[in-house]
Amino acid sequence: MADILEQASNWLEDQRTEHATRTVTYERGASTVAVSAGIGRTIFEVDNGFGIVERTESRDFLVLAADLVLAGSPVLPERGDRVREIQVATTFVYEVMAPGKEPHWRYSDPYRKTLRIHTKHVSTETT
Amino acid sequence: MAVITDIADAVAAEINAGSFSQPIDAKREYLPVFELEDMQSLRVTVVPKSLTTLPGGRAHNQHDFAIDVAVQQKLQTTDNAEIDDLLTLVDEIADHFRFKRLSSFPNAMWLKTENEPVYAQEHLQELRQFTSILTFTFRVMR
Repeated sequence: MADILEQASNWLEDQRTEHATRTVTYERGASTVAVSAGIGRTIFEVDNGFGIVERTESRDFLVLAADLVLAGSPVLPERGDRVREIQVATTFVYEVMAPGKEPHWRYSDPYRKTLRIHTKHVSTETT
Repeated sequence: MAVITDIADAVAAEINAGSFSQPIDAKREYLPVFELEDMQSLRVTVVPKSLTTLPGGRAHNQHDFAIDVAVQQKLQTTDNAEIDDLLTLVDEIADHFRFKRLSSFPNAMWLKTENEPVYAQEHLQELRQFTSILTFTFRVMR
């Protein structure tokens, strides 16, 4: 019997991808792929070991796992990968990373259809 | 200005006047907090760290001033060659001060150098950034 919650979740993810995303370029070295990404954020609170909790906000890109294909093979995000997001004449470059022992990506839904990729802004390019 | 600030300035000047394997523009800062975007090129920051005062004789004290020098750069690849070059630079800066008095603050005599951490593993893993901290201690008798 079909899992209607999975069906509903998948439908929602497809709707999100169709109506609430923008095209960004995902890069790993020389390999790139254009993907539709929703924009989100995560606030991490990490104890630095000296009694101070550091608060870090990441920019998250929500991407369909099936869309993340580099050099012909489906891949999962790796630290150091880059996401280039163009806004008018400015390209914002983000790098995949997360503070402390936090994972740099996770699945955004229970059915592993969408990746939530944590990034930090590393440079800005103006054309 | 506080003596430790004068010494930190003298350390920055000494580094900027030196000859190293990479060009350096060392700056003194009180609060060395930077955005990753600002770390694309080599950044050398001089920060006053601590002062220990001990009896030095009947009429004077020995003041040990610790100055941190941070060498930082966002890495492109994190491969050995890229990190080797930066560690070499750290080594060169450390060597530059051994057995010296600071040119613009000659009362300060080099006492010791610590390199802790040689490189910050958490910065390398989390930020793909090289961070090495040199702590120089200079003694002033007064």
